Amino acid sequence: MTSYPSPSSSLLEQGKLIKQGAEAKVYLVPSLLPRPTIYRPTNHSTAGPSSPRPSSSSSSSSSSTSTNDSGVILKYRFPKTYRHPVLDASLTSSRLTFEARSLSRAARAGVVVPQVLWVDEKGGVLGLERVEGWSVREILGGGAEGELEVEFEDGELELGEGEGQEEYGPDDTGTERIDLGGEEEGENEGMKALRRLGVSQEHLMTSIGTALARLHLTTIIHGDLTTSNMMVRLTPDGVQPYEIVMIDFGLSSTAQFPENYAVDLYVLERAFASTHPQSENLYAGVLDAYAKGLGEKKWRPIEIKLKEVRRRGRKRDMTG
Amino acid sequence: MTQASSSKKKISPLPKPSRRLLCLGVEGSANKLGCGIISHSPSSTPGAATSVTVLSNVRHTYITPPGEGFLPSDTARHHREWVVKVIEEAVKKAGVRMGDLDVIAFTKGPGMGTPLQVGALVARTLSLLHNIPLVGVNHCVGHIEMGRQITSSHNPIVLYVSGGNTQVIAYSQQRYRIFGETLDIAIGNCLDRFARVIGLRNDPSPGYNIEIEAKKGTRLVALPYGTKGMDVSLAGILHAVETYTRDKRYRSWDQIPTGSSPEEEDIITPHDLCYSLQETTFAMLVEITERAMAHVGARDVLIVGGVGCNLRLQQMMGIMASERSGRVFATDESFCIDNGIMIAQAGLLSYRMGQTTPIEKTGVTQRYRTDAVHVTWRA
Repeated sequence: MTSYPSPSSSLLEQGKLIKQGAEAKVYLVPSLLPRPTIYRPTNHSTAGPSSPRPSSSSSSSSSSTSTNDSGVILKYRFPKTYRHPVLDASLTSSRLTFEARSLSRAARAGVVVPQVLWVDEKGGVLGLERVEGWSVREILGGGAEGELEVEFEDGELELGEGEGQEEYGPDDTGTERIDLGGEEEGENEGMKALRRLGVSQEHLMTSIGTALARLHLTTIIHGDLTTSNMMVRLTPDGVQPYEIVMIDFGLSSTAQFPENYAVDLYVLERAFASTHPQSENLYAGVLDAYAKGLGEKKWRPIEIKLKEVRRRGRKRDMTG
Repeated sequence: MTQASSSKKKISPLPKPSRRLLCLGVEGSANKLGCGIISHSPSSTPGAATSVTVLSNVRHTYITPPGEGFLPSDTARHHREWVVKVIEEAVKKAGVRMGDLDVIAFTKGPGMGTPLQVGALVARTLSLLHNIPLVGVNHCVGHIEMGRQITSSHNPIVLYVSGGNTQVIAYSQQRYRIFGETLDIAIGNCLDRFARVIGLRNDPSPGYNIEIEAKKGTRLVALPYGTKGMDVSLAGILHAVETYTRDKRYRSWDQIPTGSSPEEEDIITPHDLCYSLQETTFAMLVEITERAMAHVGARDVLIVGGVGCNLRLQQMMGIMASERSGRVFATDESFCIDNGIMIAQAGLLSYRMGQTTPIEKTGVTQRYRTDAVHVTWRA
């Protein structure tokens, strides 16, 4: 048995590398996996799952129209050769397991997350429902200045000579959306699409806060809340015009104390401050909606802790 | 992203110097006393970049006996004893006179209070004696600007690792924004304190001695792995690795067996602990750097700060960056470890933007965050 390659490896070969995140390479494959039957969030897409199809079926991708058939994301935590192999193996397997568990737990509790379709702990591969849309970071337009994404090699930047005589604009539009083809979109297509639907940035912040509260009510701590790890997916058939999909649960854990929730919130707060300095004030809207979603009784202790956590960074100016 | 950004080049707000500008930098925020003179001259050919020359870079380090750290008062005494000699040597090596200087830069913070005061006091005195304007410099920004200058990396993610600081920084809209940092002690502090626990010498530096001993380590002991989002926590790891020195399997320096295959024995040597400590903490640092890179979509990494001259850290970072088809920039010890020239470089940049610090505002501060500085010289 051991001599066979893992089933994931053949899937990866068929996949197209679309992104290299911090932890994993992300591949897209046509829907070759059986249709999911269990981990389906209850609050959208109530259409019953069709019966599982054998994974060799190639007809599924062509006949697909709904989001679930638009492809499968394979998240491959490749061995990090900079790390000691023992350390790397234990981190990879624990994070993969945690991610799969948290995602399925969250989905069962009605939180909108990608469905888990495939778990190969040994191979380091997680198959997830593809989420079409934009990350909140892209919509808010933060990020490195004049940097390139892995997949778009054309049009290399010529760097200015000498000591930074030329710099690049701060508001790059992110075109790294998990999507194939049609990359010619102009500035911030995500926000444009939302505007067309009459959605403001403030409304987006409220949705983020509500989604976060829903997640925290399940006692799951995300552990790596950044604007890159929240996707906006349009839901033409839904009550709301769009929904927030939380992704990347590799550092997730289960909360025991208000402190854990507060740290989770603080990580997001910092991500806002550092990535989106212009929209920092928007973050207040996230907290408001979060507090409302959680309810006064649960929010109070977290609010107190959050104030404590904020004071923790090193070398804060104490002179006031 | 590519199409959009190439049309969005910004012109640097930094005016080109009309003549050669000289700056003396005085650094004394920790146990290193450094003075250096840098010059920014107009380019010989029109259109080319300003030429930056390091004229001198002199440093004297306060070294304590094994097992001891440096105390603020003793460190300040060391600085007071050496500062005149160090400045004299820096001026002599540069081949200039004090009167030729255009500006004097000193470390305003962060760092240890009393040693900082020595540097500021000396800078003030020289300023009054020779009628030269002063510029207060944030130590961390000094590291970043010198690293950018030396390596010509334009807009990298910066990992700043030293005895007092551990931060992942990216530039955005005239600030060096902190994406991740340590929640408790700094990486250099963690390594130095462990070096003292196992009795390593502080000469040339405890961290360097750990790096040397770690090369002989073979066994990876289990240590906590403390990444929290883009932050790290190191205090627990220090405690855990210290606990191993009280383990039954631990053999101190004179008890290490010299047999043919000591690797097979179930023991733990100081080498193994140095090795494990480095492997674990550096993996965490590389990981948070990678997280920041993925989050903002950056490709290049610049490592600055004293721990930045650790070759194992540079190697691990290099592997990570190459997997993302990015590059790593690092400098050698003369620019990585605290020095005066980096203060001069950052000071001269803000001087060229027309900024000086009036003498009544030249007080020092132990708390001075990297993101508190308005980086006027970048677009």
